[in-house]
Amino acid sequence: MPTRIFPPSSRFWRVAPRLAAATAVVLIAAAIAAAFFIERAYTDQKQREVSVSAGILASTVTAALVFDDVSAAREYVEALAANPEILSAAVYDETGALFASYARTSDSRPPATAGLALIAVGGDRVAVSVPVRHEGKVIGTVNLLSTIEPLASRLPRYALILLLTLMAAAVVAVLGAAQSALAHVNEELRERARQLQDQIVEREKAEDALRQIQKMETIGQLTGGVAHDFNNLLTIIIGNLDRLERRIDAKADAAELKKVAKFARIGADRAATLTKSLLAFSRRQPLDPKPLDANKLVSNMSDLLRRTLGEHITVQMVGGAGLWRTQADPNQLENAILNLAVNARDAMPEGGRLTIETANAYFDPHHAAQAEVEPGQYIVIAVTDTGGGMTKEVAAQAFEPFFTTKDTSHGTGLGLSQVYGFVKQSGGHVQIYTELGQGTTVKIYLPRLTAEPEAEEVETAPDSVEGRHETILLVEDDPGVRENSAMMLQELGYRVIGASTGAETLQTLERNRQVALLFTDVGLPGSMNGRQLADEVRRRRPELPVLFTTGYARNAIVHDGRLDPGVHLVTKPFSYADLSTALRNLLEARADRTAEARKP
Amino acid sequence: MLSVLLSPVVSRAEDASLEYAVKATFLYKLGPFVTWPAHAFETPTGPVNLCVVGRDSFGATLDQAVAGQVIGTRSIAVWRLAAVDRGRACHILYVGTNDPRLAAEVLDAVGGTPTLTVTDGIRDARAKGVVNFVIVASRVRFEIDDHAAAQGGLEISSKVLSLAVAVRPRS
Ligand SMILES: Nc1ncnc2c1ncn2[C@@H]1O[C@H](COP(=O)(O)OP(=O)(O)OP(=O)(O)O)[C@@H](O)[C@H]1O
Ligand SMILES: [Mg+2]
Repeated sequence: MPTRIFPPSSRFWRVAPRLAAATAVVLIAAAIAAAFFIERAYTDQKQREVSVSAGILASTVTAALVFDDVSAAREYVEALAANPEILSAAVYDETGALFASYARTSDSRPPATAGLALIAVGGDRVAVSVPVRHEGKVIGTVNLLSTIEPLASRLPRYALILLLTLMAAAVVAVLGAAQSALAHVNEELRERARQLQDQIVEREKAEDALRQIQKMETIGQLTGGVAHDFNNLLTIIIGNLDRLERRIDAKADAAELKKVAKFARIGADRAATLTKSLLAFSRRQPLDPKPLDANKLVSNMSDLLRRTLGEHITVQMVGGAGLWRTQADPNQLENAILNLAVNARDAMPEGGRLTIETANAYFDPHHAAQAEVEPGQYIVIAVTDTGGGMTKEVAAQAFEPFFTTKDTSHGTGLGLSQVYGFVKQSGGHVQIYTELGQGTTVKIYLPRLTAEPEAEEVETAPDSVEGRHETILLVEDDPGVRENSAMMLQELGYRVIGASTGAETLQTLERNRQVALLFTDVGLPGSMNGRQLADEVRRRRPELPVLFTTGYARNAIVHDGRLDPGVHLVTKPFSYADLSTALRNLLEARADRTAEARKP
Repeated sequence: MLSVLLSPVVSRAEDASLEYAVKATFLYKLGPFVTWPAHAFETPTGPVNLCVVGRDSFGATLDQAVAGQVIGTRSIAVWRLAAVDRGRACHILYVGTNDPRLAAEVLDAVGGTPTLTVTDGIRDARAKGVVNFVIVASRVRFEIDDHAAAQGGLEISSKVLSLAVAVRPRS
């Protein structure tokens, strides 16, 4: 989900520019209104002042009008000339005729009769007309024309108001414009973010497609490799079986037959190893992890390693002090170390030194995330050689199955993939450190074992691995495999009852109380798999031991590549020895328990 | 305009009738500018007595001029007297003589009463009434003796005082 870079509250900021413009307009309008109001107030005030002057003149001129004293009236009128604002003053008698007047300028001369229209007033002039009353009668009129302070001298005041207002409006407008610009930039950014988002989606699609192609390539490589190797091995097996049949027909002697059978067997063993490696890489091999001490495991291998590596390679073991215990399948771990040692040997054809070190390690959350493991405590097993090292390209592909730089007779390209699959399946991590011409270190990290499980029953090897005619209930859906297993069991000295489904097994069990052990495949057709069948059988006969077999671990009894506790398993393909040991262990343990139970 | 032309300008021809017409109007027009003491009238609504003593140069002009005129709420009554008589309360008394001796006698007769005495063209200061008509620049004007007015208990409006050619102040 793309992150929202811009919060929805930005709606306010989108209307802000319009708001600013409106504010500026309102400000200017308010300033004009204020100026207009001040102007009106000023002219009103002037009008009142002139009216008072006119009133005074009207009352003082009364007697002059009454007694027709023009010169006295003129004196009063001219007395107003002392006031520079009075432009003209006029007194009219009762008939409206001009009685006395004064005019400062020719254009302000009052009209001859009061009845005529007054001088045009406006702008910077104020005219007032006041009646002269005497004894309750109007005996004349007084007209005054006054200048008001000229607009020119008032303008600076208004200009100041206007200037301040304009400045305020400008500030608001600039803020608004800035906001609008910001909103624009925001919009652009949002658009960019959208485009980027689209690009990311496109890119992810392309990467997915690429990954798919790579996966197909790998699968192709894998299946091609498997087919190739299997064909080689099958050629060996079939060829030798053919030869065997022919020699039997030719009644060849036993030693001859045995030799041919041995060749067939070698091919088959190699095929089994091949599938094991494949399963290890695919992390589908059934692991049987046990608590172990890596120091002990490594030192137990020293003989084997020295023999494998030859005399011109020195082997050095550095066991870390106070090494924590870990939990892993010991056979697979040995396999992994052996694979690394073989690689080291191949890298040092002229000889050199192999060092195996163990130590405690810690993954902090950052490095844990990089290595795709849980952060915490680990043990590390580092296998170092003084060989030729790898190029970056080789190191990058080294874990891939069937990737090899060796010729076909030497390498299959499955060594490191076994290491990788096993370590990952065990909750650990594996890392290559290499420098061309210097050498290589491969580090295996395995999680520290914290809670030690209760010591498992030590399964002592039985004296005799032969059967004692106990009845084994064999459940296998593949008739060929069932036939083969039945033959093996009979040869080992057991009696066998076969079944192919869960339902059939339960019926058979009802009829045959003498069944001593259930040997079942995990993958069964129908509504019941091997695990469910075992549970059902235990419900009916709790003491009956169960041995599972499977060739593939992603199933009911193996979770996360680990066996459930108390589950006993022999993996396909199994040998006579594998099978007889597993059966004897289970049957002896049961015999011990029943003996124990019978004690008083 | 007509009024201006007909205003009481005394023509070169010494139109005596026009001059006296002006003086007749002045006699009653003075009234509103004068305040008499309350005891000067017998009743609150009683008329203002306008008396003419001595030579009567007005004739019917005076009666026509005051006809229908009022001073405040009071009407005007015109009296022509042979001699001043203390018993008759004259509020305005026109003394029709050029003789200062005669005029002074009349003034003495009403001295100390609330009477607006009006003399006509008297030069002798001792024989001038409260108001004394004079001709200045062919116009009828007046002098006012506010001192004498005060003695009779009269108040004369400053508006008229300001029009007077000469004023003898109260104190
Ligand atoms: N210690 C090493 N030094 C140099 N190169 C190495 C080393 N380990 C592995 N490689 C390179 O990685 C490749 C893959 O190794 P891997 O073990 O998976 O296969 P292989 O050794 O070629 O064949 P196999 O192990 O199946 O016999 C090798 O072919 C080699 O080129
Ligand atoms: Mg290898």
